[in-house]
Amino acid sequence: MTDKIELLAPAGSIEKMEFAFLYGADAVYFGGKNYSLRANAKNFSLDEMKEAVLFAHSRNKRVYVTVNIVFHNEDLIGLEEYLKYLSEIKVDAIITSDVAVMSLIKEKNIDLEIHISTQASILNHEAAKFYKCLGATRVVLAREASEQDIKRIKAETGLEIECFIHGAMCTSISGRCVLSNYCTNRDSNRGGCAQICRWTFDYMKDDEKVTEEPFSMTPKDLNMVSNIQKMLDIGVNSFKIEGRMRSIYYVSTVILAYRRLIDRILNKTLTEEYSNYILNVLNRVANRDSAPQFFNCLPGMKEQYYLGREELSNQDFLGLVLDYEDGIATIEERNSFKIGDEVQAIGPNHETYSFKIESIIDEEGNELDVARHPQMIIKVKVPFKLEKNDMIRAKVFDFSPKV
Amino acid sequence: MKMSKILININNLNEIEEYEKIGITNFLFAIEKFSIGYKAFSLESIPSSAYVLINRVLDCEDVDKLESLKEEISRFKGIIYEDVAVYNLFKDEDIELIWFQNHFTTNYASINYYLKNGVDSAVISNEITENEILEILDKSLKPLVINILGKNQIMYSRRTLLTNFNKHNNLTDYNNMILKENATSSRFLAQESEYGTVIYNDEYFNYTHILKNIDATKIKFNLILNQDLKPSKIDAILKGEPFGNDGFLNKKTVYRMSEYNDR
Repeated sequence: MTDKIELLAPAGSIEKMEFAFLYGADAVYFGGKNYSLRANAKNFSLDEMKEAVLFAHSRNKRVYVTVNIVFHNEDLIGLEEYLKYLSEIKVDAIITSDVAVMSLIKEKNIDLEIHISTQASILNHEAAKFYKCLGATRVVLAREASEQDIKRIKAETGLEIECFIHGAMCTSISGRCVLSNYCTNRDSNRGGCAQICRWTFDYMKDDEKVTEEPFSMTPKDLNMVSNIQKMLDIGVNSFKIEGRMRSIYYVSTVILAYRRLIDRILNKTLTEEYSNYILNVLNRVANRDSAPQFFNCLPGMKEQYYLGREELSNQDFLGLVLDYEDGIATIEERNSFKIGDEVQAIGPNHETYSFKIESIIDEEGNELDVARHPQMIIKVKVPFKLEKNDMIRAKVFDFSPKV
Repeated sequence: MKMSKILININNLNEIEEYEKIGITNFLFAIEKFSIGYKAFSLESIPSSAYVLINRVLDCEDVDKLESLKEEISRFKGIIYEDVAVYNLFKDEDIELIWFQNHFTTNYASINYYLKNGVDSAVISNEITENEILEILDKSLKPLVINILGKNQIMYSRRTLLTNFNKHNNLTDYNNMILKENATSSRFLAQESEYGTVIYNDEYFNYTHILKNIDATKIKFNLILNQDLKPSKIDAILKGEPFGNDGFLNKKTVYRMSEYNDR
């Protein structure tokens, strides 16, 4: 089924949503100030949600709102009004796992499309059928779903299938972990997860440590580049990127990579070389290793992190293009670069180009050897046309014509 | 405490006689291949008068296998289940269904949805406060199950986390390990099987003392999910011997950093 293929991006803020759409997302998901599992992300106010829907719909894009906490009694207060508001502003769907939300929508006849969150841990067709009876039109499958499970669920339910294809993984089956509640009193299923599974532990038997190396259970990230074709073939409709708390550079790079990958698959122009290039770019932009995880087999030793893991912050994002005129790009700097550096320009409307920094001029017209200060506005000579909101990055991997 | 209201899992068939001697007559058996984290039994070894536990998150193949055993499983008194596929498969059968989606049974509206649609009861989460439990019981359409004693299963992964770590460190096949987190002085018990890894809080919770505050007609069962306590010890605890902790009864969880900092 290739008639409704969707690349779905995280949007932690209005700005991130705009970049996600610009760089190729068909839809975004975000949370409001309440009822969303990223309680400590910026999240969207009611007015911002309305603005986001108008922005998206004016570009023929879609907006899904996460109402995906596991509700306690007190959280039910105000839920009906909130759902009615989401209906009024015409969000395209809500993403939820709690039957309290679904049954309320049904009971009050609220006009909202329901997508079942990955928190519901759907791994089989009967569970999917259960949620279909509750009015769901789409299921976001558990990240543990295998190729065979996905294929079967699609075939037996006819529901739209959404799968995560990139980003961080829970160690547990999503929703089946309250380590955070026990260690820190922060409620993982209401958005307060302290990510205890990324901490280390003494590994003990009979009150003795059995090894000096602390126990770690952190999984590597998910990366489905090598399986997108298969996912299309078995009927996956929506390809979802994780990361509502990630930067605009991360979101834009990942979205652009998968946009081009999916488009090349659909128009049958994907080469192995390009696929490898995409893989390299994605590996570089993240600060963790990644793997396909559960799609073809049970993840083992190599899909897990141990002591010595480093999560270095990525310094590749050099600047955001504000304007381009007569061969000169005006750039808001993000990370330091200097004359002679090999850099790349990425953007939604052109291929990735490499070029060498030949001049840097500050706002007062002074020539600089080095651009050192994040947020400073500088002008750089660029030998090809750029557009507002293109990005300049350190040259990572080459798959572009030299200019 | 009415022993007739106790429902307890069985770790060893010999325990049954001992429990019966102290008046406990409702037994729960985890089923082989469909449960995780508790001693599991083959279907033929489980008495028909028992309840069975199906607490794995099931994939399509598991559902096919479960469906093929539907008739055999329907002879039991009831099923305590995690995956809603179990509800879908058994909702039209003459067997009690008790919803226990771990960590999700935290509000009365969700519980009542199931109760209105053919489910007989639900196990209330014990990761909520006493007041929350009381409100759920008060607003529930049917009597519910309270988890009164045990070690909480607090994480369930499909991954073989212990095997992976053992292999990485060239260790022998360690299982049933204590994971000690030093910053918060937390101790967890990790157990692995072919179906994945479950982690328990290594401390027992004991909610028996709240039962005096609850109208007994609102309770279907007082559930004990026992790991390693002997029947005599359980009898003593039920008779009031101090044991275990209050868990979350008086400890409301928070989820916004602002709330956390305000504590």
